[in-house]
Amino acid sequence: MLPLEDVKVLSFGTGGVVPDAGKILGELGADVIKIESKDNLDFMRTIGPDMNNIAQFNEANRNKRSFGVNLKTEKGKELVSRLVKWTDILLENFRGGVMKSLGFDYGNVRKLNPQIVYVSSQGFGGGGPFSDFQAYGPMLSAASGMLSIWAQPDDPYPVGSNSPLPDHMASKHAIIAALAALDYRHRTGKGQYIDMAQTEVAVSLIGEHYLDYTYNNRIAKPTGNRSTYAAPHGCYPCKGADEWCAIAVFNDVEWRSFSSVMGDPAWTRDPKFASLQGRLKNVEELDQHVRQWTSGLDAYVVMEVLQAAGVAAGVVQRAPDTLADPQLKWLGSTVELDHPVSGKRLYPGVPFRMSGAPPAQSTAAPLLGQHTEEICRDLLNMAEDEIQRLVKEDILHTPASSKDGGTSILG
Amino acid sequence: MTTKEGALSPYRVLDLADSKGAYCTKLFADLGADVIKVEAPQGDPGRRMPPFAGDVPHHEKSLYFLHRNAGKRGVTLDFETPDGRDILIGLVARADVLVENSPPDYMAGLGLDYAALRQVNPRLIMASITDFGRSGPYKDRKSSNLVDFAMSGVMITSGYPGKEPSLCPGTPAYDAASLYANISILAAMHMRDAIGEGRFIDVSVHETSRLGLYPWIIPNYSYAINPGGPPPSSESRLGASVYPVYPCKDGLIRVIALTPRQWDALVRVLGSPEVLQMPDWRSFLYRIGNASDLYALMLEFTQKYTMIELFEAGKREGVPIAPILNIQDFYNSPHTKARQFFVEVEHPVAGKAEYPGPPYKWTESPARIARPAPCLGEHNEEVYCQELGFSRDDLVALRGAGVI
Repeated sequence: MLPLEDVKVLSFGTGGVVPDAGKILGELGADVIKIESKDNLDFMRTIGPDMNNIAQFNEANRNKRSFGVNLKTEKGKELVSRLVKWTDILLENFRGGVMKSLGFDYGNVRKLNPQIVYVSSQGFGGGGPFSDFQAYGPMLSAASGMLSIWAQPDDPYPVGSNSPLPDHMASKHAIIAALAALDYRHRTGKGQYIDMAQTEVAVSLIGEHYLDYTYNNRIAKPTGNRSTYAAPHGCYPCKGADEWCAIAVFNDVEWRSFSSVMGDPAWTRDPKFASLQGRLKNVEELDQHVRQWTSGLDAYVVMEVLQAAGVAAGVVQRAPDTLADPQLKWLGSTVELDHPVSGKRLYPGVPFRMSGAPPAQSTAAPLLGQHTEEICRDLLNMAEDEIQRLVKEDILHTPASSKDGGTSILG
Repeated sequence: MTTKEGALSPYRVLDLADSKGAYCTKLFADLGADVIKVEAPQGDPGRRMPPFAGDVPHHEKSLYFLHRNAGKRGVTLDFETPDGRDILIGLVARADVLVENSPPDYMAGLGLDYAALRQVNPRLIMASITDFGRSGPYKDRKSSNLVDFAMSGVMITSGYPGKEPSLCPGTPAYDAASLYANISILAAMHMRDAIGEGRFIDVSVHETSRLGLYPWIIPNYSYAINPGGPPPSSESRLGASVYPVYPCKDGLIRVIALTPRQWDALVRVLGSPEVLQMPDWRSFLYRIGNASDLYALMLEFTQKYTMIELFEAGKREGVPIAPILNIQDFYNSPHTKARQFFVEVEHPVAGKAEYPGPPYKWTESPARIARPAPCLGEHNEEVYCQELGFSRDDLVALRGAGVI
């Protein structure tokens, strides 16, 4: 039995956060229904020419059923209201104010379902001047202070990364909130509203830098990969273009192993490198030497010889490295799923194991409206002719009726 | 201060973890669980992590430790000793959850693996966080936050092309493991009443950070493989061109203009200068291809405005623009103040300061920091005497023997 088999989730999700949360709840057995509208698509359905064939969307929206419905019509709203009564958890990360304009803000929804657990996750969170500002992950790393220190000290300005962090950390916090609130409801019978700010998640993950401000009045500046308690500590260039190996040497035992792996060259015997303090003090010169050693070697060779000597080292990996990673292969960390449009593709597996439970299951992302008809029949007890009439009237969407619905943003 | 109970108030969590699991149990503490941090008598190595309050290295003043252990109680215990082992078993009998991050086989070696502990408490949920996994070819490898992050797939997307990739601040790889551990524990708690027993949960930093921090890398690559086609290109470092950063009057902004409509809005935000109205610029791919020319053009216009002016104009016109706030800027932002995100916490040694609160507001069961991080062994008496029935003399003896 999967742990959340009896849990029902309604997802008004777009982009990264709520879709990722629903994906994981689905992996744990929850029945997750994604509410989708042809005329107001999940942003991730619009970043390529075919809304049903987008890698990121099809990753984030696995383990869900898609209910395609026009939320601007009274009939569409009525059907969704019935799903609101059915569900245990409602997750939403539309722009602040959108759920209210659709009539599905917490105030309204709790009248339909007083015990509902309702989790809102806006970029900046509710109750302040920025509550209805649109926000994508890369904006939130910027607005949370995280980006200001995600850089090398000599960068002209910080660029962080083109990943959507902190999106995929915020999504996990949303799940934790939903499951904890469900436990509270189980004990007390009370539902509730949780207002999560994605910027605050980012701040929580770098809290020590905020305490450095509130305790020490210091505004943290970028320190790159340097550490105050390890040296060498950084990514060192290896053979090939843009190939790097991360190395972290914490203590003198590791330092001696590190030196011997390099063949104990003369410079390592210089007394100024003998202690951690000395290595930290002369870190520029130290790094210069290490770079000289690594730059002639394959990144994997550097990792292997250092690991064999008990020194922490790891290649700065790309996707093909992940697929070839012996440990991830051993763990079975990727899954192949067959998607009706995209075909057989690889996705991340479930990165935890639970005793006594079957391996968590992953199903391919739905086409827009793929489960509209089955949800109408099985959950809403609707007759076949009514379903077909609503599809014809464009109040309900099926894959066939929404074929022309997607427009790519790339123009 | 409200007196309502938190969402997880009835539960007790034993926290045997160091930095790899500290965030997992902090989230439990924020939601009201009674988290007891069990440290070796010499203290969690996290106590030595900089920065320090007052810039003085001191085991009660690590700001990394204080943040991630706020809300927990703390006891000292060497459970490698026979007496210590018995005490731990006594604690396990009274706990709902145990979180630990020792190397594979360590707990089994002490007779404290899940098979043994469930004999004491069949309802116990135990989560073990390892670096690379409990088995497999990398099982005994060494790791660190930097090394884990390097292998996570996020790092190669950071920084400037050709330059050394940059470490994300914080300990994102550890926290990915912490978050997955927390989720699986809550899932196991959910079914515990129905099945009448706990579960063992196995999480690694390597796998959770690789699959959890940026899961799109794998499908992005897989979707680009087409039979007979060229090999797909993998991630590259596009931060500066996809999400360009521009200086403005009082700082920096990051712009997310992907669609032609968003680009048009951006041009309006900047006062509709003619040079930006060339139709080619409306194409996202053209802008990526000519990123440095565009950057030179944009500077003249972005520098006329402040961060907040551009942030607000972006909202009005329909293009996401974010101010790049530093730590002080975020702390002082009117939005942060309106949400009362920072909360005052007084620590007996480090002193009083405002801490980032839990990142969410709850209408029924409040999330809050109920107490500062524990001093080393602060709750020994409270836990060992009041709950396990030891006398003060027993504690003196146990301390003398190095057990606590």
